Amino acid sequence: MPVIFINGEAVDTGEHKTVLQVALANGFYVPHFCWHPELSVPGNCRVCVVEQDGWVGIACNMPVRDGMKVETDSEMVRAQRKTTLQFILLNHPVDCGICDKAGECTLQDYHYEYNGESARSREPKLTSTKFYPLSERIVLDNERCILCTRCVRFTREISKSNVLGIEYRGDQSIIRPVENRTLDDDPYSDNVIDLCPVGALLSRDFLYQSRVWYLEPTATICPGCSRGCTVQAWHRKPEWQLKTQGARQNEGILRVTPLENPRVNGPWICNKGRDLAALLERPRADQPLMKGTVVAMSVALEAARRLIRDSARRVALVSTWASNEELRAFKGVLGETFTAFVKPDHLPVDGEVVEDELLIRADKNPNTRAAESLFGTAPINLPDDTDLVLVWGEGVDFAMLPRGAKILFLGAWLAPENGHADVFLPLSIQTERRGHYTNFDGVVSAFEPWQHRPEGAIDAETLFPLLAAPAGSDA
Amino acid sequence: MKHLIPEFERLKTRLPPGHDATLMVPCLHRIQEDRGYIADSDIDDVADYLGVPRIQVEEVLSFYGMLRRAPIGRWHLQICRNVSCSMRGAERLIDHLIERLGVQPGQTTPDGRFTLSTVECLGCCGTAPVLMVNTTYHEKLDIAQVDALIEGLD
Amino acid sequence: MDGHKVLMNFNVTARSHSLKAYRKRGGYRGLEKALASMQPEEVTQTIVDSGLQGRGGAAFPAGRKWQGIDPHDGQPHYLIANADEGEPGTFKDRWVLEFSPHTLIESMVISCYALAVRHCFVYIRGEYDLPLRRLEEAVEEAYAAGYLGENIQGSGFSCDLFVFRGAGAYVCGEASSLLGSIEGTRAYPRNRPPRMTVKGLYQCPTVVNNVETLSTIAWIINNGAEAFRAIGTPKSPGTRLISISGHIERPGVYEIELGYSWARFLHEDCGGVLHGRALKAVIPGGISSQVLTGKDAKVLTAGEVEGLTLDHEKLKSAGSSLGSGGMIVIAEGTCMVRLLHIMQRFYHHESCGQCTPCREGTGWMHRILDRILAGKGHPEDIERLQFIAEANDGTTICGLGDAAGYAVTAMVANFRDEFEYFIEHGRSKFGGNLECL
Repeated sequence: MPVIFINGEAVDTGEHKTVLQVALANGFYVPHFCWHPELSVPGNCRVCVVEQDGWVGIACNMPVRDGMKVETDSEMVRAQRKTTLQFILLNHPVDCGICDKAGECTLQDYHYEYNGESARSREPKLTSTKFYPLSERIVLDNERCILCTRCVRFTREISKSNVLGIEYRGDQSIIRPVENRTLDDDPYSDNVIDLCPVGALLSRDFLYQSRVWYLEPTATICPGCSRGCTVQAWHRKPEWQLKTQGARQNEGILRVTPLENPRVNGPWICNKGRDLAALLERPRADQPLMKGTVVAMSVALEAARRLIRDSARRVALVSTWASNEELRAFKGVLGETFTAFVKPDHLPVDGEVVEDELLIRADKNPNTRAAESLFGTAPINLPDDTDLVLVWGEGVDFAMLPRGAKILFLGAWLAPENGHADVFLPLSIQTERRGHYTNFDGVVSAFEPWQHRPEGAIDAETLFPLLAAPAGSDA
Repeated sequence: MKHLIPEFERLKTRLPPGHDATLMVPCLHRIQEDRGYIADSDIDDVADYLGVPRIQVEEVLSFYGMLRRAPIGRWHLQICRNVSCSMRGAERLIDHLIERLGVQPGQTTPDGRFTLSTVECLGCCGTAPVLMVNTTYHEKLDIAQVDALIEGLD
Repeated sequence: MDGHKVLMNFNVTARSHSLKAYRKRGGYRGLEKALASMQPEEVTQTIVDSGLQGRGGAAFPAGRKWQGIDPHDGQPHYLIANADEGEPGTFKDRWVLEFSPHTLIESMVISCYALAVRHCFVYIRGEYDLPLRRLEEAVEEAYAAGYLGENIQGSGFSCDLFVFRGAGAYVCGEASSLLGSIEGTRAYPRNRPPRMTVKGLYQCPTVVNNVETLSTIAWIINNGAEAFRAIGTPKSPGTRLISISGHIERPGVYEIELGYSWARFLHEDCGGVLHGRALKAVIPGGISSQVLTGKDAKVLTAGEVEGLTLDHEKLKSAGSSLGSGGMIVIAEGTCMVRLLHIMQRFYHHESCGQCTPCREGTGWMHRILDRILAGKGHPEDIERLQFIAEANDGTTICGLGDAAGYAVTAMVANFRDEFEYFIEHGRSKFGGNLECL
């Protein structure tokens, strides 16, 4: 492997072919806009310059050669970077005060770090389209766009939707979608929001919802399919929660971004993962019920234990949205009591991409693999003489259950079925507890909590030992 | 555009195989020659024929100065405004044409006969000033010759 | 004018572009000689020995460029004749295409033989209608006569030529941008590495040469490298076509032996400045050039021009270049501020928009000059223009940015007083005059 010298330090280049890759991989930060590790190298922003042998050139396209000496912060490099930033800012509107990207904007950061000068130009800035709807989800501001072309390359090389392109020439160049489609056609469209180094591509859902410095991310896993992409769910920091709204809103998911994960999803997620709030923040069940009547938890638990004691043929339909820990807990204390089948909580819905070559998997549940490894892959078969069905999680049509069976239903969300169950117990969801999912490929990932469990809900891990205790015990 | 496909197929005989997208600009030129401009349906047809995404055709179309997506006048008067032509009187000719035709560069006369455009260097610097009418160069012009030229166009 | 002629060595008639007339003046003998008695490497070596420099703008040694291709590497290779001639002031390739297209065709087939090229292209600018028709006619004649196509002259060597018509973009004159055009995408110039002789058209080794450069090949093969070296100067062998225009009595295309006296060329051969006026300045080689290295065409004052000879090294030492061979003569009384404005308007219109310094810079310079012309200039505008020019020097993907900058730097350096006058008084020192009446 060639060895190069960066700022005097010897660095083994390893697998990397260009100076920029080597520098970034070894802790030497070289600012850049258009380069991205997953996309082709266009070399158009001209910001990633480094000095080599008295020449200043872009590092993203500079091949490594054994023994070469590179300076990332020399006088010449600084001068040229400063000038290039002047040019990038020439027609860039100073929208910071009203731009969602403020606080996480690469251009802001670089201007502060590497330029810091006021504009040299006396000319009025060129104007262009603002609020161009690229899709239902994304809005484009052409004035802010610095034409790094990351978004265009993403739709050509990664999502392959081929929706975006550049029209016209020179400083009239403009990002536009193909005329007969919108980015709504692209199930990975929202990744361009992360990719855009400035506030040109913004989420319409998130538009003006909050300043990013009031938010913090918590790592969780998208339960949308068995890929199990790791994501960051963004919510208000505890110290910035608003007094004018309740805890549920203060803790709510405001936006979702990918949590980079080389073993699972790389730096991308699909749009379903962006809409985690829609998946998880549906109205919650927080009261135990018996045939629709609200009862105290202790009463419901005792009734459940009696159901278990008084039945002969017990079948459990196990949730594929349950965590590894919850599944193991069930197996541990109730595995002998019930004949368990693994059930998909969710099936693909109309209009949803079922499976593709990028991330999306046909199995719309995050933990099928762990469930199957514990409970097998046998197709669900309820004998006619089943007298107790433990339904854990969504996706079961009660009308398909044996006529005479009692139903013990464990669920997190409000649903009509809750009232039909003989006993209904409200559960917590993944944002309210710590845990792990195993994806289709066997990769185990962790999710962290930040939301508070509704008062009346219970963690499944806590519940199962309580259910397994004999009837009549104190609970 | 479909009736032009046999012509395009013949072009392939002199091209290395496997690079259909090379026919992009040749196809667009021929379509424009045939129809006078490139229609929306042509864009889809070209994308299909070449096996490229439609956005690629749109990008190429907007990049080149000679390709257009809307019809223009019967006579496209393209006058060079670059260095050598300006030094030999092109600006006076442009002013004259604007006045005589009553349109600004980029516009078409109401009767649909003339579209006036100012263009960059046409490679006629030695015989400046030059006016390109559709595809024909008219060189070493003065105002009288321009007037005679226009009068001769129907 | 005395001196050897390599290209303009016949009388132009109504049919001098035909195959018949070409063969009558010795045409296709070079190709026959190469195919019958030379190995591809010998052809390349001859070009190397001849010292032929590119005549598109960069004056890069053609032989050295060819040596970047290994004829036996088993990959497809491509040769492209750059006939996009868009450099303002330049119309000399047009002469070859209109009056002797077979010179180009024969030279290209010889070159394809040397470089193991099976498919070659002529990329001709879309506006050149008559040259295109003449070229296409000549190509068909060549195919019919067996100089193109399968098994040329029974040699076993086959070669196809495709005439590719451009569509109105000056940037396509940049060699790597041409590739994008032929590949059916936006014609964006490409970063190097990789060099085009490594990964060019369709990611295969490619040579792009100017029309005039290629057209010289047939003569060199016919007469030998020594004979070529005997013409011109040791560092700039051979002849060049110069297209001269502007305030000159006899504009047109001339062939000069390199090393020819500039003063003689201007005042005798071309009839001197229009109407006997005093010479103010000369743009020697197109308002810019298509190079990536070296100083580009700069404006020279009358004082600098006298005493210079027309060859590459003399002009380089004067801080300029023969560039594309597009010479523009400027007489006293011309407003240089307005001239610069026209140039910047041109660059702004033609910038492809890919990279930051050129995309923003060409627009910025144009708008500053717009403002100066409108009488609203400020004293800092001159420095501002120079700042932008410097910011484009060596920082862009292709030479368009550099060229736009060099035009500014040269004009301001030589005619600063005119700019200061315009800014101070809100009008031109010469009444905005561009003509020589």
